[in-house]
Amino acid sequence: MNYTKEIQEIAKKLFDEQKIDVFIGYQKSKVSKNQIPFAFKNADEIGSLVFDKQSSHNLVNYLKFEHSKNKKAAIIVKGCDSRSLNLCITENQVKRENLYVIGICCEGIDNENGEKEERCKNCVFPDPALSDTILGNPKGKIAYTPDPEMLEMNNKSMEEKQEFWDKIFGSCIRCNACRHSCPLCYCDKCVIDQTDSTYHHASTSKANASMALLTWSLHLAGRCVDCRNCEKACPQNLPLHLLHKQNEAVIYDNFQNHLAGVNQNDKGAFYKFSYDDPDDFIL
Amino acid sequence: MTNSETLQETSTEKETTWEPVIVGFLCNWCSYAGSDLTGTSRLQYPANIRIIRVPCSSRIDPVFIIKALQSHADGVLISGCHPGDCHYITGNYFARRRFLVTKQLLSFIGIEDERVQYSWVSAAEGAKFAKVVEKVTEGVKKLGPLKFLKREDLL
Amino acid sequence: MARVGVFVCYCGANIGDYVDVPKVVEEIKKIKEVRFAFDYKYMCSDPGQTTIKDAIIREKLTSVVVAACSPRMHEKTFRKALLEAGMNPYLLEVANIREHSSWVHQKDKVAATKKAVDLIRMAVSKSIANQQLHEISVPVTKRALVIGGGIAGIQAALDIADAHIPVLLVERSPSIGGRMAQLDETFPTLDCSQCIMTPKMVDAASHPFIELMTYSEVIELQGFVGNYKAKIKRKASYVKFDACTGCGACWQKCPVKVDNEFNFGQGKRKAIYTPFAQAVPNKPVIDAIHCTMLTKGKCGICEKVCEKGAIDYKMTDEVIEREIGAVVVATGYDLWDPKPYEEYGVGRYKDVITSLEFERMVSAGGPTNGLPIRPSDGEVPKTVVFLKCIGSRDESKGISYCSKICCMYTAKHVMLLHHKVHDSHSFVFYMDIRANGKGYEEFVKRAQVDTASTYLRGRVSKIYQKGKKLIVQGEDAQIGQQVQIEADLVVLANAIVPQKDAPELARMLGISYDRYGFLSEAHPKLRPVETTKAGVYLAGCCQAPKDIPESVSQASAAAAKVMGLFASDRLKKDPMVSTVLIENCSGCQNCIPACPYGAITTEEIPIMRGSKDLRTVAKINEGVCQGCGSCVAICRSSAAMLSGYTDLQLMKEVIAL
Repeated sequence: MNYTKEIQEIAKKLFDEQKIDVFIGYQKSKVSKNQIPFAFKNADEIGSLVFDKQSSHNLVNYLKFEHSKNKKAAIIVKGCDSRSLNLCITENQVKRENLYVIGICCEGIDNENGEKEERCKNCVFPDPALSDTILGNPKGKIAYTPDPEMLEMNNKSMEEKQEFWDKIFGSCIRCNACRHSCPLCYCDKCVIDQTDSTYHHASTSKANASMALLTWSLHLAGRCVDCRNCEKACPQNLPLHLLHKQNEAVIYDNFQNHLAGVNQNDKGAFYKFSYDDPDDFIL
Repeated sequence: MTNSETLQETSTEKETTWEPVIVGFLCNWCSYAGSDLTGTSRLQYPANIRIIRVPCSSRIDPVFIIKALQSHADGVLISGCHPGDCHYITGNYFARRRFLVTKQLLSFIGIEDERVQYSWVSAAEGAKFAKVVEKVTEGVKKLGPLKFLKREDLL
Repeated sequence: MARVGVFVCYCGANIGDYVDVPKVVEEIKKIKEVRFAFDYKYMCSDPGQTTIKDAIIREKLTSVVVAACSPRMHEKTFRKALLEAGMNPYLLEVANIREHSSWVHQKDKVAATKKAVDLIRMAVSKSIANQQLHEISVPVTKRALVIGGGIAGIQAALDIADAHIPVLLVERSPSIGGRMAQLDETFPTLDCSQCIMTPKMVDAASHPFIELMTYSEVIELQGFVGNYKAKIKRKASYVKFDACTGCGACWQKCPVKVDNEFNFGQGKRKAIYTPFAQAVPNKPVIDAIHCTMLTKGKCGICEKVCEKGAIDYKMTDEVIEREIGAVVVATGYDLWDPKPYEEYGVGRYKDVITSLEFERMVSAGGPTNGLPIRPSDGEVPKTVVFLKCIGSRDESKGISYCSKICCMYTAKHVMLLHHKVHDSHSFVFYMDIRANGKGYEEFVKRAQVDTASTYLRGRVSKIYQKGKKLIVQGEDAQIGQQVQIEADLVVLANAIVPQKDAPELARMLGISYDRYGFLSEAHPKLRPVETTKAGVYLAGCCQAPKDIPESVSQASAAAAKVMGLFASDRLKKDPMVSTVLIENCSGCQNCIPACPYGAITTEEIPIMRGSKDLRTVAKINEGVCQGCGSCVAICRSSAAMLSGYTDLQLMKEVIAL
């Protein structure tokens, strides 16, 4: 999967025709094997743009920043990324008419060691949900499979779970990198980042950290697309995807196979309901 | 003054028996009215529950549950109107979704199912409310005091 | 610095016997913010309230906690006391130590006392976080909607209209009159039902303030008290209302005969019909299911014979919208199908009929012109057996309640039968005789003494055919013997049940109903005509079985409530509504679908002070908001806030324990 040349051509054309102010894409990092997201401002910079199996970041996150906010931007989205873009449009954070979307029919992303990333092994949505140009061959929707690590956690005993999560909550340093890198975390005044909000406190005590992480996962429930931006950003290597995949599986199984952002104007799972939602856990 | 201190001071016979603290969030129109009916009917139930009135079960944010568990509660009960009968028409439908996900998420991180319970109790179901409180209190009693997730100053 | 006053009530013995009140006061005084703690026998009494008011002024209190009965009882009372003392009424918190402590933990005084202390502590914490709230007022549309055109609906509409308030009276059948129009005579006066009701029906149809819509159904009600919007479907009658004179030429000539549902299938009506002779409005409708012109395109006789050209086969259903201030629900009752009593041969034997079928037979305008006959062979019955409590008071049939009117109308049927068939003999099998209205006991005595009737206390075990007769086998419990009666006709007093679609109607209106489907009143003793939804009232049997005088009383009571509601030009509204803290709002608009009242819209505000660039944020209309808090819990950014139940107030309660 390598569309570097094709995308460079599209980008040059968009800049030449003055259709965009900024192109959000990937660049090779000068200090590591990773690729980094980059906001290209003109056609001259496009030479360093790449797109291949290493282009793992969800670029939708970067539409929040100054270079793109309320500007005309072009962006590359893979299958999962595109769903978060749909949600950002539905939730009025970005206007569709300001975007030129290059959709990639994703074949999976490789990690640093050249192996397919865990999350791509269970991909359910490889094709872009929206695009102005499509690259690659559409695969169609794939059957949903729950994350194996999440399933393993569910099989642990209560004591084992408590021990595991106690360690995790104790490790969180409240740097907020997870929230900062999540495309769907766009609230200017985030509740978990306040020193005097009613329920949250920006301290590293286990109680406050657990409150923050649980709240954050519930705010993303029904909206998270499993792009792993958060986990990649976490300096403490916390397995944040476990919380998100747990919520995603519960929502998929119980709320009519809901997946975040599949169609434009699809709201997150908590902003609608069905008369037939399951009830049997209620006394 | 904390919960356990008053227990010791006011009770001479049962100083060492631990009693769970259950926090109950009841919706004003159905469940709170139902719990009032329990009282009017003089039906008896365990004295561990402390009830907080909210206008609708949809007012409940999962953070209330987590905060209660981190504070003094060993268990939480949330009760609202039966689906279709919400005084505010759709509130309990939205709440129902959040309840399911929250319950399973808390179980996922190690909070036992029996600690966080939901019920639909209508204004006419005084007897049901007593039974629900009994069931929840018994369930939490069996599990013992909650130590996981607690605020450090309360451990 | 908070200065909280705590007032603990004994409520006589209700709290005092089960909670150690002096101990409670002692513990509460240990809370540093509590400046004044006091106990009294009856806090809601005048002296009790005076203590509160005096303490507010003397101790310069900043909030008040009353520990007594449920806030659903006396919150309003104590709020008024605060107001009279010059304190904002929303600085009050009520700790429920009666329904939630003393009454439910009667066997453990220690635990009940401790719980009372905890509940008061929670209330103290919350009250410190309470904010001063000021009442909002909303405009009120002074028009009432009455759903159901039976005697209750008619009475309510007339009373409201007499107060010069416009009323929209909606009835789904082609004529108003309801069940009372199906009756021959009414107990205890034996008045001719139609004769006493028709003047009211005509009044309702011609009253200058009543807009009558028959053959119409309410399909949607949106909004809130004083500001409802109702959608009404006017079913196509295929007869132009203004052109029709009610001459009857159409139905006389119509060739199609259909089972007459007004008479429960006895006798026929035409496809174009008025349900009964005294129908109001006396204009026919065409039954679209049976009319051959509408179903097959053949016939058209009614159009030909109508001298006024009133027939219009092309008519369609119409949906209209009206703005309404209050609703009175008077949708009446249905009768339980006694089929589950297989031992009585219901459905198998033609001569086993229900009470309303009998009533139709003895009615002068009924299928047999007032003569009771056996449906099997048309002969006049001489021995009639009446069975009471069919379905009612029978848990195995799912009906635990008493239907209230059957003892009286059975006595009436005994008398009517005696008048129509002088040599008849009635037998009445009963469990009890409930005759507790004015003149009722005397009426039943007349039925027992003045007619050839035998009242037997006992139930019937089975009914079977023997030749032309029905053998009714039952018990005479007073002599402890089985009896067998050879009957010509058996009449079952079947239970009164709510209309089948009552729960659906209730959900549409946003009101509650009980497990049978009867619509729920706000309080069974003291608020029998209101529902928990402000502006929606109940009248008649839709709320519970009752007789005509009670239905009429309830209807007038509901009308009085409507008149009270409309007495001012603006309605005071509870200020516990939601607002948007725009500095927190991210503009995601996920709150909008959460509001069932459509109270949330959007507005554009500058990104920053002085900036020309705009951003979208949510906006809540405080006049529309009903204060549920759905939007508050759904908002991720804590931008929506519900006054009276803010995150801070609720958290204070949680951590106060």
